[in-house]
Amino acid sequence: MDKKTVTTIAYLSRIALNEDNEDKITSDLENIIKFVDQLDSAEVDGIEPLTNPLEKKAHTREDIVTAKNRKDKFLERSPKSNEDYFLVPRVVE
Amino acid sequence: MSWQTVIGLEIHVQLSTNSKLFSGGSTGFGAEPNTHVDLIDMGLPGVLPVANREAFYKAIRFGLATNAEINQTSSFDRKNYFYPDLPKGYQITQMAMPIVGKGAIKIDVEGNEKIINITRAHLEEDAGKSIHDLFDGETGVDLNRAGTPLLEIVSEPEISNAKEAVAYFKAVRQLVTFLDICDGNMAQGSMRCDVNVSIKKDDVKELGTRAEIKNINSFKFIERAINYEIERQIRIIESGEAVVQETRLYDSVKNETRSMRSKEEANDYRYFPCPDLLPVVISDKEFNEIKDNLPELPDEKEKRYMSEANLEEAEAKIISSSKTMANMFEDACSKTDDSKLVANWLVGDVSALLNKDNIDIEESKLSSNNFATLIERISDKTISGKIAKSVLEEVWESGHNVDNIIKDKGLVQIQDESVLEEIAQKIINNNPSQVEAYKGGKDKLFGFFVGQVMKETQGKANPKSVNDILKNLLDS
Amino acid sequence: MSIRYKTIKDLSSMIQKRDISHLELVKETFSLIESSSDLNAFITLNKDPAIENAISLDNERNESVLSGIPIAQKDLFCTKDLRTTCGSNMLSNFIPPYSATVITNLERAGCISIGKTNMDEFAMGSSNETSFYGNVINPWGKNLVPGGSSGGSASAVSSGIVPAATGTDTGGSIRQPASLCGITGLKPTYGRISRWGMIAFASSLDQAGPMARTAEDCAILLNEMCSHDLKDTTSLNEPIPDFTEDLDKPIKGMKIGIVKEFDLSKLDSDVVQVFEDSKKHYESLGAEFVEISLPNISLSVPTYYVVAPAECSSNLSRFDGVKFGTRCDDPKNLEDLYIRTRSEGFGDEVKRRILIGSYVLSAGFYDAYYKKAQQVRRLIKNDFDGAFSKVDVIMSPTTRGTAFEAGSKGSDPIQMYLEDLFTIPANLAGLPALSLPNGFVNKKPIGLQLIGNFLEESKMLQFAHNFQKTSDFHLKTPHGEDIS
Repeated sequence: MDKKTVTTIAYLSRIALNEDNEDKITSDLENIIKFVDQLDSAEVDGIEPLTNPLEKKAHTREDIVTAKNRKDKFLERSPKSNEDYFLVPRVVE
Repeated sequence: MSWQTVIGLEIHVQLSTNSKLFSGGSTGFGAEPNTHVDLIDMGLPGVLPVANREAFYKAIRFGLATNAEINQTSSFDRKNYFYPDLPKGYQITQMAMPIVGKGAIKIDVEGNEKIINITRAHLEEDAGKSIHDLFDGETGVDLNRAGTPLLEIVSEPEISNAKEAVAYFKAVRQLVTFLDICDGNMAQGSMRCDVNVSIKKDDVKELGTRAEIKNINSFKFIERAINYEIERQIRIIESGEAVVQETRLYDSVKNETRSMRSKEEANDYRYFPCPDLLPVVISDKEFNEIKDNLPELPDEKEKRYMSEANLEEAEAKIISSSKTMANMFEDACSKTDDSKLVANWLVGDVSALLNKDNIDIEESKLSSNNFATLIERISDKTISGKIAKSVLEEVWESGHNVDNIIKDKGLVQIQDESVLEEIAQKIINNNPSQVEAYKGGKDKLFGFFVGQVMKETQGKANPKSVNDILKNLLDS
Repeated sequence: MSIRYKTIKDLSSMIQKRDISHLELVKETFSLIESSSDLNAFITLNKDPAIENAISLDNERNESVLSGIPIAQKDLFCTKDLRTTCGSNMLSNFIPPYSATVITNLERAGCISIGKTNMDEFAMGSSNETSFYGNVINPWGKNLVPGGSSGGSASAVSSGIVPAATGTDTGGSIRQPASLCGITGLKPTYGRISRWGMIAFASSLDQAGPMARTAEDCAILLNEMCSHDLKDTTSLNEPIPDFTEDLDKPIKGMKIGIVKEFDLSKLDSDVVQVFEDSKKHYESLGAEFVEISLPNISLSVPTYYVVAPAECSSNLSRFDGVKFGTRCDDPKNLEDLYIRTRSEGFGDEVKRRILIGSYVLSAGFYDAYYKKAQQVRRLIKNDFDGAFSKVDVIMSPTTRGTAFEAGSKGSDPIQMYLEDLFTIPANLAGLPALSLPNGFVNKKPIGLQLIGNFLEESKMLQFAHNFQKTSDFHLKTPHGEDIS
């Protein structure tokens, strides 16, 4: 697995790669991918992928408002907020 | 050696459901931040989405109105990326099995009709809002909007210039408001679009590299952004460089588009079927009910106004072009037999006021109820047409109730013939020389007498009665 | 009268006969927990509410069998106003504003939630060695792992300090620790138990389930845990039978499938012997054995290690330090917030799985890995459908061996993944499966796995109960206490 791939995957997952873990992570990933490559041998032409073991349709909701206002509870249990908003470092677009 | 522009629009329409696409959170606009947030909207650990069937019904209406393929079985996928107002770190959308497939919509560009094909329309949840400028070095996140149902309408890249793009956007807006699936309120963000622009040489078949301009929510900006972008791309190619495929933002202050500062190559959304949501199936019964109850569309209204209400094509077109105005017309027509009267007022005075203030009917203070009452009062002769004009102006400014205005200002038309006769007689008595001149042949003086009666009654006299009474008194 | 090692049925009887009050039961439970703190089975205790609950139950008597029964809840279930960590640093301060449906169901039936049990971080692991809150000890040996990810629950039940606990099972996380700790653990048909409030690892594989000393107790709990929940679209809307009804029915003439492709020759001969003895036992009860073929079964583990990481990589994206959970100190900018919060908040195994998941879903690899795995998954499910037309249950060892020493699996993740060889297939197919104690190897317990057909928990429990009625493996305790 080349370095660029590992770096991209790590970035997509927002997980840090550094000198301490990069090598181990790369080799772990390589081993796991090699392990799952066994799937290559399977004959799957025309087989529908199984996303969920229940082959049924979803029930749906009626269009009514059921949620109560939990603003205070949500904000007070958050890592950082003021009385109205969750706060994160300023995002520049 | 001329340039051709290829444009495609992705319009995000906020569906006017009461609750969100996957939760019971309210979709109401303008609430205090983070007060319309359900556990599910927060993306808390352990929560699960359940689809709002009304959102499907509204999407299907769009599909029916655009003669589109409708997938009664549709499923959801996850689009994975990180952003502060995307609580779960993924958006639930429809990639593989959208609810609405290929369809088409007719647009009108300065009198010319063109059909624009629609690739698909699918349901997805909206993100929350990130507020960048209010807090010292920080961005505030408001999740009220998170989870609101959106219908993303994707056009084929068949639009050739900015004017067509605006016409297309307008046509979609008209359609979704008539279908009662979206309130069409651009200022509130009920409709936004992403515009894909690329250019190519006339004689080349391949499409050029496209740039995507995100999140534009006004007709004016769509037009300007596209025109700027076309110029920008032409400049780039003519200087020997290549257009970069990227996402851009339109800056309305500087009137330019600029690149969004994000790591594009790492924006792999890793779409996969959402394992929490089994496919939603709309039954034939539900489907037929939607079909049978589809709201009347502009074309149909136009035809009906012409045949049933005897309107001219031009006035029928104007009235049927806006759902609000059409509703106003229909409500007022229920108060009077004289549909022409209603049409005249809408196409005449009301439209003039709209033009003067440069607003749309939805933005005016004139409510349908009030307008209907105004028409009713004219019809039942409580006020004269002339007085009605001043009442309309008052309503336009203040939004106050028509009957209250009439009462407060004492504008009730004087109909009592004996009262009018008395006043007319008084005028005649007080103006002997004019009477003599009139009787001597100066017919034009009739207007003077009418004017004097009107002045005496502060314009409240019923003009026809005044005419008849004066004729009687003067010509006898 | 000691409450240690008592079953739900025993305790219920004691309560009904007033041999013990609800309050005494709860207090004794807490003191047992305290004296067994070296097991590290619990992360958070629910002392005050549990005591209050017990007091009010003492005042308003209730005849139901679960009334006042202390239950340990795996720390993967959201419990309202009680810290829920998932064994992770990321949620070390998370206080949920709501409770999982399964918790509400059990509490409504009278259970008293005693505390939250330790577990492998975010349910990823087979030894309870990945928890941020330290390893859990197997009561059968200080240096032994209890299995995972429901290691805390298994250890607590095995050591007799609670009669039962809830667990979750995505690839074997109830059954494998049940096997290594000598208790009975059951994963129902996918969709039987609502996932509302169950912090998601792999949504299409996760299921909650009971862990207890007997199949009968599991059935009693299952009756209350199952429900059709409108808040979960993957919740089954099928009639819920009384799972205790068929327990005593004889199994004479019923058929047990042995999977041809499970090559037991690779296992320790003592382990194979235990399995063979169980076969003989079932034969003596009148069951018949049929060889069945599940041709794609050997691809179960690779399939699982594509599907589960893919789903978890997406499910865990919500842990970003923005709205709940922990956040890194002084983030310099948004990227720093995300990267440091997640890198500090997650342990190595979780990170590995997230990275694998992102990889197999990424453009260019999706078809070869994720899509392919889901196709193989259907093949595996089809294999089971075919097999169940011939047999009533399928039998296999639950694990390849007994509890291993902590740290002995080394740093190769694959070695750990192969622990779930026998258990994974049932998750992929959504079928119910359980593990019951069926023997000892080197004085360490080991379990027998039964897999049932879709919705056939009752039949599976019937087999398990019949075995337990005529054997005493489930009555053995770590320190040789006599509890018969």
